[in-house]
Amino acid sequence: MEPERRCPRCGQIIPWGSEECPFCSERRGYFWSLRRDTFLVVVFVFLILLIVITGFTVRRYQAMERSLAQNWYSQGEQDLKAGHAGAALADFRNALTYSRDNSLYQLRLAQALVATGRVPEARTYLLSLREREPGNGPVNLELARLAARAHVIPEALRYFHDAVYCEWDGDPVVQRRAVRLELVKFLLDSDQKAAARAELIGVAGNLPPDAELHTQVGALLMKAGGYDDALQLFRQALAAEPRSALALAGAGECYFQTGQYAQAQRYLDQAMQEDPHLTRTAPMLETTRAVLDLDPFIRWLGEQERAQRARKAFDQAMTRLEACAAQRGIDLPAASGDPLQTLYAQATTFQPRMRQRTLSRDSEWVSNTMDLVFEIEKAASQGCGEPQGLDLALLLIAREQEGARP
Amino acid sequence: MSGAPATPPRLPGAAFSAARAAWNKLRQRLGWEPERQALGETQLFLLLAVIIGLFSGLAVVLFRVAIDWTRVRVFGSSLTPPPIRILLVPIIGGLVVAFLVIKFFPRVRGSGVNQTKAAVYIYNGFIPFNTVIGKFVCCALAIGTGQSLGPEDPSLQMGAGIASALGRRLRLSREKVRLIAPVGAAAGLAAAFNAPISAVLFVIEEVIGKWTAGVLGAIVLAAVSSVVVVRWFLGEQPLFRIPEYHLVHPAELLAYAALGVIGGISSLVMVKLIGYARPRLKALPRWSQYFQPAAAGLLIGVIGLWLPQVMGAGYDFMDQAMHDQFTWRMLALLAAFKILATSLSFTSGTPGGMFAPTLFIGAMIGGAVGSIEHHFFPWLTGGVGAYALVGMGTLFAGFLRVPLTSVFMVLEVSGNYSIILPVMISNTIAYLISRQYQHTSLFDLLSRQDGMGLPSMEEGREEVTLHVEDAMRAYQGVVLKLEDPIQVALTQAEASAEVFVLVNDAPESWRGIKKDELRHWAAHMRQEDPIADLLPETNLPLLHPDQALYEALRRLGEWPLLPVVSRADLGKLEGVVGLPDILAAYRAAG
Repeated sequence: MEPERRCPRCGQIIPWGSEECPFCSERRGYFWSLRRDTFLVVVFVFLILLIVITGFTVRRYQAMERSLAQNWYSQGEQDLKAGHAGAALADFRNALTYSRDNSLYQLRLAQALVATGRVPEARTYLLSLREREPGNGPVNLELARLAARAHVIPEALRYFHDAVYCEWDGDPVVQRRAVRLELVKFLLDSDQKAAARAELIGVAGNLPPDAELHTQVGALLMKAGGYDDALQLFRQALAAEPRSALALAGAGECYFQTGQYAQAQRYLDQAMQEDPHLTRTAPMLETTRAVLDLDPFIRWLGEQERAQRARKAFDQAMTRLEACAAQRGIDLPAASGDPLQTLYAQATTFQPRMRQRTLSRDSEWVSNTMDLVFEIEKAASQGCGEPQGLDLALLLIAREQEGARP
Repeated sequence: MSGAPATPPRLPGAAFSAARAAWNKLRQRLGWEPERQALGETQLFLLLAVIIGLFSGLAVVLFRVAIDWTRVRVFGSSLTPPPIRILLVPIIGGLVVAFLVIKFFPRVRGSGVNQTKAAVYIYNGFIPFNTVIGKFVCCALAIGTGQSLGPEDPSLQMGAGIASALGRRLRLSREKVRLIAPVGAAAGLAAAFNAPISAVLFVIEEVIGKWTAGVLGAIVLAAVSSVVVVRWFLGEQPLFRIPEYHLVHPAELLAYAALGVIGGISSLVMVKLIGYARPRLKALPRWSQYFQPAAAGLLIGVIGLWLPQVMGAGYDFMDQAMHDQFTWRMLALLAAFKILATSLSFTSGTPGGMFAPTLFIGAMIGGAVGSIEHHFFPWLTGGVGAYALVGMGTLFAGFLRVPLTSVFMVLEVSGNYSIILPVMISNTIAYLISRQYQHTSLFDLLSRQDGMGLPSMEEGREEVTLHVEDAMRAYQGVVLKLEDPIQVALTQAEASAEVFVLVNDAPESWRGIKKDELRHWAAHMRQEDPIADLLPETNLPLLHPDQALYEALRRLGEWPLLPVVSRADLGKLEGVVGLPDILAAYRAAG
């Protein structure tokens, strides 16, 4: 320890580390000679000068920070695009060092955390962002996505709804619509079609005149079972773009699903003409044609034609019955109580009377024959899987007839 | 301070003369007569407090920029610099800092808090201005090159240095110059922390060591003005982004109590480590002081290869801990190695502060405790961020031993009053553990190691204050009335054991007379005269049992004893106290 030393001139203690008395040795230049008020003026002038210098320095430094943050952010985006999530994570952390409150960087950091599989960390980070900015749309959307990934449906729905009503940069209408459509997809995946329909009807009410958008929303509505509303949207799309293959196919499908096969055929035909590569449309068109070819209940058909169709349907049903029995190893002529055997027994009683004359003379007989055909098709589809081609057409006719009956 | 020359020396040159003439002309035109409108000492002191706050704020803004700029330049802009830089930069930085400290700024070694206290209590408020420059340059270099130290107490000392320089040049009285250093200290700390209340409390709790109304207003003014400057230049955002806090379940308070215990033990470890290593390193040959910061830098660099978070002040990582960005194992490791790194940096004589490392360690311990609790009792615990925040306050209370500041710091930083319950529980436990096993606080320990005995509020809290009731004894005499005749009074007085007899005629009017005087009057005066004619007009000073004993000593004067009366009834005598009683009480208290 240094012993205490006092100045021999003024008697003051000399501080530790000083060689000489600071009071006596202090250089008393011009400022010491100034009067108190004059010195205060000098102090104010110096203060202003220092404010200017500080302002300049801070601006330069903040510009440097912004530039560093932007560089790291760009690097992170590149890394994220290239699939280097780990590197992107470090980049976004660096970017946030220089721009701590930038919500875009924060969001990207959370996304990078998700991409690196650090989902709990990402969730905590997003939750803390949400605490600070409950109205931040992208943050709520990311949280909704995480909840959707974890199949926590109520939480996902809450965050999706929050995201819809939150603040968004850029065009908030477009962003909110995108969130709602993402919510609809989530609802459809979760088999909540009614909720999805409700959301889509809301979206459909505020759509701009954009054929593609109408088609997209229509397709989702169709998935949600809202065929009538979807059909309206497809029609609106076709009004703007009459040759849109997707809108034509969508409208055709709506007609198909609502049992309006003639209309469906018209639209599906047109859709195939516009785009022959529509994979869903081609088999649907084929089925539609089959329905129209096989349905004996079409009003404008003559008796003969009706009988002919019933006979064709009966033959097709018998073929399906035999194939299904063979597939399941059932001996149809035997009587061991299997529904297929019962139906076969019934069919064999019908077969002798299945002459075309009888059918054309007795319309009730046509109806009974078709009832048996429908029974066979239903039993076969239950026992041997979903039918194809003509059998599918017969099943669709059956459903339509069931719906038409009181 | 000796006075300035009578006539100011003239600067050469016609330009200066012209400027002075113009200035005088302007003053005349504005009717400004400073001689008549001069500020009084008190007004000047308050104005100066604001000016000091502004200067301190600007200095701290530049200091923070300098630290960050140095870090970016030497380590690069990434949070995880290349290994070669992590290893080499702290060594080179340590060598440069050691050279600057030894050759140019010997006063900037160690803690700025004690140096400011020394200025207040030993050197009449004198802090040379080159200390401000030295602290700025050396600390910016040390912290920027990765030494595990913080910018807060250098900022405190810079503020104090600026204040001292301005006070001396404005020729304030010695008393005011002594008081102005803490004003600057508060301004510097408030600017560094961006938290004026905590800064004011810390300066009162640790630097001044007592509540003095005379300086409080100036301290508050300075702290507020410095924070305004910092927020103006660097923005409104606080040091940390504070997570939301709710007490999930009352049982959660047990977890905070556990945090208090761990925080208290960690504080002890750190104080003991510094207390053990510092004098030993200081005692090494003088040449070794050139290499001690570099050696500390080497060890910190080695730790930094694995845990780069321990380098520098670490505010970014505290923020990450508060937002649950680390696992509990990582948090515990960071806390342990930060204790080691900070002890190395500080004991090696590298200039820099202990506040940021304390907060860092507290945040990591708090985060670790919170994570563990969350893992085992997820239904009981709130967010990890709240634990990290409370942990900061806990270490502050345990390590720096400033319990009041620690509580208010957390409240001020979080802006959330509901966190007060966990903070108080945790801080109190840590403080009590630290005090139980380490009687001397860190700052006292450091000042004693430097051969100084500086006071502190904690020391004051430890002191036993004696009261009048501790020395008071029962009055063994009669209480005379003013109308009592001399002979009657003498007869009654002779029967009492007291040499000094009390006289009471109204509740607030107590007088006294010595037995000898009474005998003298009885011999020379008429026996039937009332004693009222003989008594002095002056009433005896009254004492109350709860008053401090030194107050009795001050009031006693030449009187042999003083009456101790009830506060509820000034006519009711509780007892008496004389000089022998007071001395006996002090002797008994040891």
